[in-house]
Amino acid sequence: MPPVENDTGKTELKSRIQQLIDTNQVIVFSKSYCPYCVKVKDLFKELKVDCNVVELDLIEDGTNYQDMLLEMTGQKTVPNVFINKTHLGGCDKTMQAHKDGSLQQLLENEAYDYDLIVIGGGSGGLACSKEAAALGKKVMVLDYVVPTPKGTTWGLGGTCVNVGCIPKKLMHQTALLGTALQDARKFGWEIEETVKHNWETMKTAVNNYIGSLNWGYRVALKDKNVNYVNAYAEFIEPHKIKAKNKRGKETFYTAAKFILATGERPRYLGIPGDKEYCITSDDLFSLSHCPGKTLVIGASYVALECGGFLAGLGLDVTVMVRSILLRGFDQDMANRAGDHMEEHGVKFLRKYVPVKIEELEAGTPGRLKVTAKSTDTGELLEGEYNTVLIAVGRDACTDKIGLDKTGVKVNPKNGKIPVNDEEQTNVPHIYAIGDILEGKWELTPVAIQAGRLLARRLYKGATLKCDYINVPTTVFTPLEYGSCGLSEDRAIELYGQENIEVYHSLFWPLEFTVPGRDNNKCYSKLICNKLDNERVIGFHYLGPNAGEVTQGFGTAMKCGATKEQLDGTIGIHPTCAEIFTTLDVTKSSGGDVTQSGC
Amino acid sequence: MAHRLLVRRIWTLPAKEIRCLPASTATISSSSFSTSLQSATTRVSFLSPSRTLPRVLPHTSRREVSFNVQDHEDFTERVIKNELPVLIDFHAQWCGPCKILGPRLEKAVAKQKGRVAMAKVDIDDHTDLAIEYGVSAVPTVIAMRGGDVVDHFVGIKDDDELDSFVSKIIGQ
Ligand SMILES: Cc1cc2nc3c(=O)[nH]c(=O)nc-3n(C[C@H](O)[C@H](O)[C@H](O)COP(=O)(O)OP(=O)(O)OC[C@H]3O[C@@H](n4cnc5c(N)ncnc54)[C@H](O)[C@@H]3O)c2cc1C
Repeated sequence: MPPVENDTGKTELKSRIQQLIDTNQVIVFSKSYCPYCVKVKDLFKELKVDCNVVELDLIEDGTNYQDMLLEMTGQKTVPNVFINKTHLGGCDKTMQAHKDGSLQQLLENEAYDYDLIVIGGGSGGLACSKEAAALGKKVMVLDYVVPTPKGTTWGLGGTCVNVGCIPKKLMHQTALLGTALQDARKFGWEIEETVKHNWETMKTAVNNYIGSLNWGYRVALKDKNVNYVNAYAEFIEPHKIKAKNKRGKETFYTAAKFILATGERPRYLGIPGDKEYCITSDDLFSLSHCPGKTLVIGASYVALECGGFLAGLGLDVTVMVRSILLRGFDQDMANRAGDHMEEHGVKFLRKYVPVKIEELEAGTPGRLKVTAKSTDTGELLEGEYNTVLIAVGRDACTDKIGLDKTGVKVNPKNGKIPVNDEEQTNVPHIYAIGDILEGKWELTPVAIQAGRLLARRLYKGATLKCDYINVPTTVFTPLEYGSCGLSEDRAIELYGQENIEVYHSLFWPLEFTVPGRDNNKCYSKLICNKLDNERVIGFHYLGPNAGEVTQGFGTAMKCGATKEQLDGTIGIHPTCAEIFTTLDVTKSSGGDVTQSGC
Repeated sequence: MAHRLLVRRIWTLPAKEIRCLPASTATISSSSFSTSLQSATTRVSFLSPSRTLPRVLPHTSRREVSFNVQDHEDFTERVIKNELPVLIDFHAQWCGPCKILGPRLEKAVAKQKGRVAMAKVDIDDHTDLAIEYGVSAVPTVIAMRGGDVVDHFVGIKDDDELDSFVSKIIGQ
């Protein structure tokens, strides 16, 4: 490239350099072969300071940069070092400043409003902002809920508290109580034949509890000295965000580091009538009226859990499934959980996709007509429902937060953010945690753990990283499914059929026997690695209290439990979990796994 | 599982973190709460260092037992500058016990025939006020006299307890 002759070119170059200086805590203009430059870069590496380097010999218009730097600083040689917008000088000056402590002072300069800004006040964001503030850092967290197309919105705390784990589990519990009422008669409780459920009462009680949690988070942030702002954040520079509140007021903040924790929102179908007439899990938990006859579209865990508890409340529920249930989970287990739902009145429309939704009658609830198409034959099918719940997956909230201004890489296919094993994005001062991470678990405790450990690594010199292996989890279908480690399908793929042993058994929980329900429907399965002393690499449980049962086995697997150690463990009788201490039928033997008696 | 984790993180905080108290829960001892009120008191005196003679507002008349605080300014005018002692009922929509306490408190205040005023603050509408006065659980009732916090309680009380709480405020 020729030397810059004209004035506009020069001004442009100058502002480009100025921007580099303004937006980086440390910027070094360097030449890749220059030993003095290497010395300076090594110093910053040793100090664990994010140091942005422009190698003038490797970029096209490097000489122009060098001329401009001369004009701007009176220094032509490299390295040319800037710290917090201040020109420091070359190698000698930098080393001298390091020796006399002025370098540290410059680095600690209040160049930014905050040490850390966390975008998103959900499970991950709250955990890491509180941890960072507790470690003495100046922290801001921004949380803003964009209303759903139906206008539903909620308070501080993110998905889990407001429209996820918490209301979901409470409504699942509501359904379990319904089953317990049925069982109760068999145990001698004399209850009137007609037992009714009141949606409004449940909804209000659940949402009141959520209101108290929202307030608790608010108070906790205040106590921990985290500056909370209820506004939508968007990057406008690598170190600067714009925060827009409900009233449209814009405020700007800068920080040395950022953590992205924006979570995900439900995906819509992109068919006529979906946003106008359908709801998602974001609306369901605070729906003012009982949804009535409901079509659930999708086979995600959210779809099965919501369909499950709605059916448990006595509603007419249909689940429309395009291909398989619970993608990513053990398919044998997923189908068993689905079969149980089907046996208990949930209808499944398999291999159908919706093509349009029309309103027949407005109301609370109204009436909707759904047209669906068979994925096999293309044949059309119509159905009438009061409510259509879309649960076909969730999209990461990464497309409207100005990431293009920062250079943070996003997987264009799914909007997810790739990070290294320290939750750092490709831009060193920007980190990401929680549901928006590529290839990681989308679970609250995972987001919390990652957030806390990240804060400790950043501000306490800790080294412990978040372990994403052997994370226990539970799907709260009517018959709950808990798992930890690999699915059978994945284990075979990784180790080969011949190298794994699968132990399994059906069982009948004692509490189901007197009411006489669900005999030999509960199921347990262990997948062991024959090449490694039959170490347990997959744990699967379909039965009551799956979360409670799975949690402890998760710890056992983290400790590297083997089949022999489980066999050596004495069970607690009479429980469901004890089945894992006595599994002796292997799948390969084809032995009988139905259970009878003690 | 997730539920337990989140809740545990909250319940292990000090007692003042407890939010919506079940109706049966006993009042939290004032010692655990006083630290957060301390700052509120200083703040109040700072807010109104040279208090002029407060005006008597029509809202404190016998007919309307309580009034809803509209904003910070309204709070300063009608609560801090009020010449009567004021009971401030910090409440929330989502709080069941608040719905029981509110009417009871109004009844107790009405009995005093205009010798005490009652202000209601919805903590979700006026979060800053609630945070400033260290409200970490609802219902919280703060008694204020001449801009100073003189007493408070958290949780629910029965009619007799409320009567004696109110009398004590007036007696002071
Ligand atoms: C129906 C349902 C049930 C679930 N059940 C469970 C369960 O049982 N167990 C479990 O472990 N997990 C469950 N999950 C998953 C769990 O909710 C998530 O894994 C968890 O909430 C992820 O936390 P996060 O911090 O990544 O994001 P979130 O909790 O989603 O928080 C992100 C926050 O950031 C805000 N935000 C986004 N963009 C911006 C912006 N630009 N500016 C400001 N704020 C912004 C959002 O509004 C939100 O409040 C469930 C999820 C759903 C939907």
